[in-house]
Amino acid sequence: MGFLLVMKAELVRGLIIMRRYWFRTLTGMVVGYTMLAGLIYAVMNAGQSDAASGLAEKMGNPEGAITWALGFIIGMFAFGIIGMFTMGLQQMAQNGQLEQLCMSPHGLVTNFMARATVGSVSSILTSSFMVWLLAKTFGSTLHFYPLPTILLLALTFANLLGFGFMVGGLVLVFKQTGQVAVIIRLGLFALAVAATDKIAAWPPFARWFAHALPITDAAICLKYVLIQGQYMPVVDAQGAAVLDAAGAPLTRFVSVFAHPSFSFYFLVANCVVWTLLGITCFRVMETWSRSKGTLGAY
Amino acid sequence: MSRDCLVEIDNVDKTFFTRHVLQKDEDTGRRRLYRVKAVQAAHKIAFRVRRGEIFGLLGPNGAGKTTTVKMVSGLVKPDRGAVYVDGLHVERKRLQVLERVGVVLEGTRTSIWPLTPLENLTYYGNLKNVKGAVLKTRAVELLDFIGLREKMNIQVRRLSRGEKQKLAICIALIADPPVILLDEPTTGLDVQSSRSIKDKIREMTRGQGKCVLVTTHDMHVAQELCDRIGIINRGSLVACKSTEELLDIFSDQVFEFRLDRRPTEGQLAEIPGVRGVEMGPEGDGTVMEVTVAPELASRSEALYATVQRLQDEGFLLHSVSQRQKTLEEVFLSLTSKN
Repeated sequence: MGFLLVMKAELVRGLIIMRRYWFRTLTGMVVGYTMLAGLIYAVMNAGQSDAASGLAEKMGNPEGAITWALGFIIGMFAFGIIGMFTMGLQQMAQNGQLEQLCMSPHGLVTNFMARATVGSVSSILTSSFMVWLLAKTFGSTLHFYPLPTILLLALTFANLLGFGFMVGGLVLVFKQTGQVAVIIRLGLFALAVAATDKIAAWPPFARWFAHALPITDAAICLKYVLIQGQYMPVVDAQGAAVLDAAGAPLTRFVSVFAHPSFSFYFLVANCVVWTLLGITCFRVMETWSRSKGTLGAY
Repeated sequence: MSRDCLVEIDNVDKTFFTRHVLQKDEDTGRRRLYRVKAVQAAHKIAFRVRRGEIFGLLGPNGAGKTTTVKMVSGLVKPDRGAVYVDGLHVERKRLQVLERVGVVLEGTRTSIWPLTPLENLTYYGNLKNVKGAVLKTRAVELLDFIGLREKMNIQVRRLSRGEKQKLAICIALIADPPVILLDEPTTGLDVQSSRSIKDKIREMTRGQGKCVLVTTHDMHVAQELCDRIGIINRGSLVACKSTEELLDIFSDQVFEFRLDRRPTEGQLAEIPGVRGVEMGPEGDGTVMEVTVAPELASRSEALYATVQRLQDEGFLLHSVSQRQKTLEEVFLSLTSKN
């Protein structure tokens, strides 16, 4: 009940600020769409220089461009959630709101969870609209499967929330994390953009490290469901693509839950581990911060 | 702990450690690569605050006042000792304690500036488990009580500093807690706002039976507002008494007699109970300062004897007044000794 009450308070606060600063909200969406569309268009129509040709070949088709854009948006989503626990926490310490949140009888973990949930739902809604608009603009198609999509988004959010709690705990104690927080956010962002099921071909250490990070499997699964529509190319025993009568690659439906890379199950495992680790770390750091007297300080 | 006592601080200690890299040592003048300094913010602090009481915590900068307030609110964990609020141990039952405490720390920063006072109270009310019609009614009543009713739908960023401070007090009161902690509530405010806040604090305690712990640098605020005062210096509580007792104990018991003429030498010699007689400075020759013993019986006897002697010697007595030390003088006297 406490969580729902706090979430309602955060939702009302967020809506009031969005409504009061509607111009900022609207321009944010317009600038975001324009920037992404412009980048995709520029890369798709890049010149024939050696440096650009490889990228242009990948991006030259609408599906590749939208995959890249979706990765960008997932990266921004991760950027935002982790940002709430780093820059957001520092800002709250500076303006005195952190102390008031610490004195809420619901506890700091509940308050942050509610704040992150509300922020993420709004981010998902605006991002989904932007991806759909980009897909329409470049002639691609997004595939919407309600159950896997909602489940994947929820697991992605839980994963990032757990990781965010861990980083936030460090910020509570060490305060000015400086460029470390920026590097973490940029790292997650890059991973979200670049992650595909091709990591199965990476060396074992790199592959397992990528799977351990909170955003990799989430990005892989979301791209597979939304862009590829859960269709995999059919290959023969030698690994070559099988073509149909018209010469197009043959594909077959493979649910994300049955994908041979097991990304979905990595995602579930990550979600459990990062959530438990993150919340435990945050609680420990909160107590340590109270002992050091740095809870409301900046 | 008695039922009447809402806050009990039981011998708490708190030390903070600061880390310094390449800092010059004050004693040797040499730079050290790495050094850890310990600052004792609280040393065996112990006092109680009763229901309906305003307890003032005075001290110089860095004495440990804010640390003490934060230990009561649970924002800082004491190293030793215990803090109880309404019978609950702050560390063991922290979330329950938070329902019973309202805190104002650096008040102008607390509220969310893009929101109005009413929206702020609704938001913080929900965070403090107050909801529905009770929240709406209480929010409006509080704004009325504090004098912000007319500004309840204006964004906080457009309010004055005093109004933001008042809103911070409302936020602390939204859950109707029995204990209110105010950290320097009148700092930086004009006379009117300061007066208004002091009146509201009095009303909260006398009218509503709340217990208020207030820290302040302003001696006039402390003297005017507080029932009891604790003076903290370098983390230790050097005095903890009612305001009158504090002034009485540290007062020199000097009485000023305003006469029609200056007495001659020997005219007022050897009056029983009088410890010393001094005439005022040149140009003010008719004021006589008489120092008497502090004990009530001896003081009374000495005053009667002085008046009798003045009457016998034919002086006209215009007035008698006690030159009492101000709280500021008591405070400076105590903190400089320590």
